[in-house]
Amino acid sequence: MRPFIATSWHGHRNDPDLPGAVRTVWREKFGRQSGDGHGLPGKQSNVDLAVLDAKGNLVHWFDGFRRMGGHHFPNGQRHESLGDYTARELQKATAELHLEGTPKQEHPLKLPDPGLLGMRVFITLLEERMRAYRAPVVEAVDLTRNDWKPLAYPDRKKTIKASLLKKWLSQLYPPGVMERTDLQTKQVYRISRIRGNLTLEPGGTFNNIRYALLAGRIILSDEGPNDFSYEGDIEIVLTYSKTRSMPQSLRGIFDGIYPRYNPINRSFREVPLLAAFEALPMIDKNP
Amino acid sequence: MKKFLAFLALSMLAMTVIRAQTSEVESALKRYAELRPGDKDLAMYRIDWAPSLKEAQSRALKENRPVFLVIIHAKYGDLSSGHC
Repeated sequence: MRPFIATSWHGHRNDPDLPGAVRTVWREKFGRQSGDGHGLPGKQSNVDLAVLDAKGNLVHWFDGFRRMGGHHFPNGQRHESLGDYTARELQKATAELHLEGTPKQEHPLKLPDPGLLGMRVFITLLEERMRAYRAPVVEAVDLTRNDWKPLAYPDRKKTIKASLLKKWLSQLYPPGVMERTDLQTKQVYRISRIRGNLTLEPGGTFNNIRYALLAGRIILSDEGPNDFSYEGDIEIVLTYSKTRSMPQSLRGIFDGIYPRYNPINRSFREVPLLAAFEALPMIDKNP
Repeated sequence: MKKFLAFLALSMLAMTVIRAQTSEVESALKRYAELRPGDKDLAMYRIDWAPSLKEAQSRALKENRPVFLVIIHAKYGDLSSGHC
């Protein structure tokens, strides 16, 4: 993917500001009457992938999810992974592009930046039926010193309402799954309520660093109908200097179960929802 | 002697409590290390994303690079941030 600048666009065919490349792709896609690798009528997905040259000319496009029989695969293969299919289609595009001089080295890993006091939440839905949903999503949550006050060093075991940590705990939902959405806006329902008590207790001292453990079960509810809720366990380690009550690092996990609704048989299926948290720059290596 | 034994017993109890807490800390950090995705799992964040088609095309022209465009036939979606 290194030569490419990636971007996404979403919308509908009757949008007034349809970009030229999208207009061309959809004119070809929906105008075709027979399959030729771009998909048969009625079998297209709602995702198309297009390659434009540096001047914005459409070079190649293809349906994001192939819809052809096994006999179309190269070398008579019966199956082809989505990754292999995408790479094969991209090769068709790169053959038509003049990529001499474009950077070839891998683009550096660039995670969303939560700022100095903010939190990164790595969320993974362990969905077996759709592997793409298993890809972790990284959320960056901006936090202030006030947001950290409930997690000041505890001299003894104390209880904290999970709702006080809503700013970052509210990221605990599967962001790549669009089943809890507002029918009008199509926006995903946000987490509106977090219930449960967490305990924060001293966890010993090592190399002049004080540790504390934050743990407990939380229940998350979204703003949609039917009081949709799910729950999981929090286990977080915080570190503190010898003299200051403000945490200097945070690392931990959420281990929960997300009930996915199946509209065909009108039942819920339990899918593990996992997350890792990390915050504050002074991450110590060995407790 | 009684005082000394009582002190020793209390000290050992305190050590037990602290060790138990430390082992919980170690266990929590181990779980974090297991669940925190590694660089390989975060490959999507190695893609050079532009926040909009307009910006991607502007950069493409300047940097003489092609654009990979994901078109989603839907009312909402922000693929670069992982939100469908």
